[in-house]
Amino acid sequence: MLVDLIQQLFNGLVIGSIYTLVALGLTIIFGILGIAHFAHGSVAMFGGYITYFFIASLGFGLFPSMAAAMAVGALLGVGLERIAYYPVRNAPPINAFIIALGLTLIIEKSNLILFGVDQIIIPTGFTRVFNVGGVTLPELRVYILAIAAVLVIGLTILIQRTWMGMAVRAVAQNRPAAVLMGINVNAVSMFVFALSSALGVAAGVLVGALFAIAPGVSGGLVVKGFAVLILGGLGSIPGAIVGGLVLGVSETFASAFISSAYKDVIAFLLMIGVLLVKPEGLMRRSAAR
Amino acid sequence: MRRLALLALAGAFALSPMTASAEEKTLTVGVSDALSGGGAVYGMPQKRAIDLAIEQINAGGGIKVGDDTYKLATIEYDDKADPTEATNVARKLIDRDGVKYLMGYCCSASTGAVASIIGREDAIMLVGTAGARAITAAGHKNVFRTRPPGDYTGAAAGRFIASQGVKKLGIISARDVALFTQYRDALIEAFEAEGGEIVAVETFGGQDRDMTAQLTKVRGLEPDAYFISGYVEQVAFAHRQAHELGIAAPRYGFSGGSPEQFLRVASSEAMEGVWDLLAIEFNADALGETAKAYAEAYQAKWNEYPTPNSAFAYDQVYVLKAALEAAGTVDDLDAVKEALRNIEVPEGVVLNYLPVDGKMFDPKGQAYISNGAFQFRDDKWAFVEELPSDAAAYSAYFQTVRD
Repeated sequence: MLVDLIQQLFNGLVIGSIYTLVALGLTIIFGILGIAHFAHGSVAMFGGYITYFFIASLGFGLFPSMAAAMAVGALLGVGLERIAYYPVRNAPPINAFIIALGLTLIIEKSNLILFGVDQIIIPTGFTRVFNVGGVTLPELRVYILAIAAVLVIGLTILIQRTWMGMAVRAVAQNRPAAVLMGINVNAVSMFVFALSSALGVAAGVLVGALFAIAPGVSGGLVVKGFAVLILGGLGSIPGAIVGGLVLGVSETFASAFISSAYKDVIAFLLMIGVLLVKPEGLMRRSAAR
Repeated sequence: MRRLALLALAGAFALSPMTASAEEKTLTVGVSDALSGGGAVYGMPQKRAIDLAIEQINAGGGIKVGDDTYKLATIEYDDKADPTEATNVARKLIDRDGVKYLMGYCCSASTGAVASIIGREDAIMLVGTAGARAITAAGHKNVFRTRPPGDYTGAAAGRFIASQGVKKLGIISARDVALFTQYRDALIEAFEAEGGEIVAVETFGGQDRDMTAQLTKVRGLEPDAYFISGYVEQVAFAHRQAHELGIAAPRYGFSGGSPEQFLRVASSEAMEGVWDLLAIEFNADALGETAKAYAEAYQAKWNEYPTPNSAFAYDQVYVLKAALEAAGTVDDLDAVKEALRNIEVPEGVVLNYLPVDGKMFDPKGQAYISNGAFQFRDDKWAFVEELPSDAAAYSAYFQTVRD
């Protein structure tokens, strides 16, 4: 029983780490620009497809392909910000909202046209399975946890320790004051979109390696990402990390102890519960605004 | 001027009996199938099989209906396996093209939509691979289907698993696809009737590809065997993850995927020994000489091996031929329906149909074929044995359900 419990915890943490990566990208964009970037999931899928293309057609290794795809994703993010969101930065929020929906359709359908309808699995070659006291740890899943952890730590250092990170935090806290301090808000929004899209691509690659990239997957990913955002607190980075892991583990435990038929229901019940009890989210102080 | 018009009219009347009494006529049938998009993997092979059957029948002299001989021709449309599209195609075929016979129909959602309106139309619909039970269960007098409904096979599968010495079975299956839930429920009923115990019924949704939570839970209940069913794209992940979790008990399933589709996701070791329990669709090993001849002809015409489901469509054409010959008319649809309802399994069909009361179709227009157990061995599905199928008993039950 204990073995099964630890096994389920591990299963949940792996899924949760992917949710975390998706939610991190969404949360930094929301925190700084106030945009609900629905197209994030499609960008993630695009990154997965590109990675597969690098591996299958150009013969790159997994990690170089992933890095290259993240770079492409970052460029795509900057492009999206410049072409789609920048022109409506001073318009009512509903405009950015509609644009986000439009972008989702455009990227989703472009993926369909470019890469077809079949599900694609990114080949990794990581097929070993470790067994620790009855708990099975597939190699690939262990690496996914590790990659997610490295990315999260890297992001934290970037935001907390670098000048650009400080600028990002400043804009998030008080935009007019940041402008008065001489921070280039344009550069900050481009940086945020690049960072967020690169993270999204990383999440897409992990999904593609562990499961598959296919039409329809991105929608579910974004819904889960926003659920994490609400769980953890809109715009909060620690909230996205904790929220993602909590969601992953609670889904798995819901499957294990109640029924898999109610897996998604329970995730959303949890979200509603948090909204009722702590509407600002798990990791956000209520005095933060 | 008026006289000229009259003359022309007289000329037209004089001409028309001549064309009507010509020796050879053409009967145009409508084909509606998924020729693009996700359903095309089922729809294209069906269209090709129909084209092949028509070519063979025409080359063999056509269909003798009363004193006339008919050659077959088709009008083919892409319904994209989409309900709206398929309904539009059916309207176009019936209203604009004036077609009386519709065939093809690979996919449940699109076919279900057409089946729900076809009862009011003056046309006969022959359904192929679409598996949802309601298509024929609704009882429209002008719908006939060569593929048996999913739960017919499910009952046979439940008896088979029990016969393999399995006492405790853990189930993981697709949550919201009627084909799989109906199959699963029939399996559970038959398995429990044989004295077996179901330890858990876990499910997964449409885009789920992580079944580790469900598998871990069922593993903890220590069943003798697992039953995993759903579309191959998802079920393949369940087998991969079961292997990763070190599950050694036998895994039975129902999904009908090709070895290539499974091996794209799961390794050979993960798949070795897995069972697929399904209606014996086209399979040259399990069926006889007609099937081999069909495979050769299909390969010669289309330069690829026929998919398992393609034979459902191929057989539609031979069924129609037999019914038209028996009815002696192509225009009196009531007579053709009556003939379809009463024909024996005709010559030329590929699949091994199990007649009910000596007739190919039961009163609801449903045909039954034998079911088989296939096992994954050395990267291929090997035919092991026929399942204990009872077409007559299922048909009796089938007459009582409507969805």
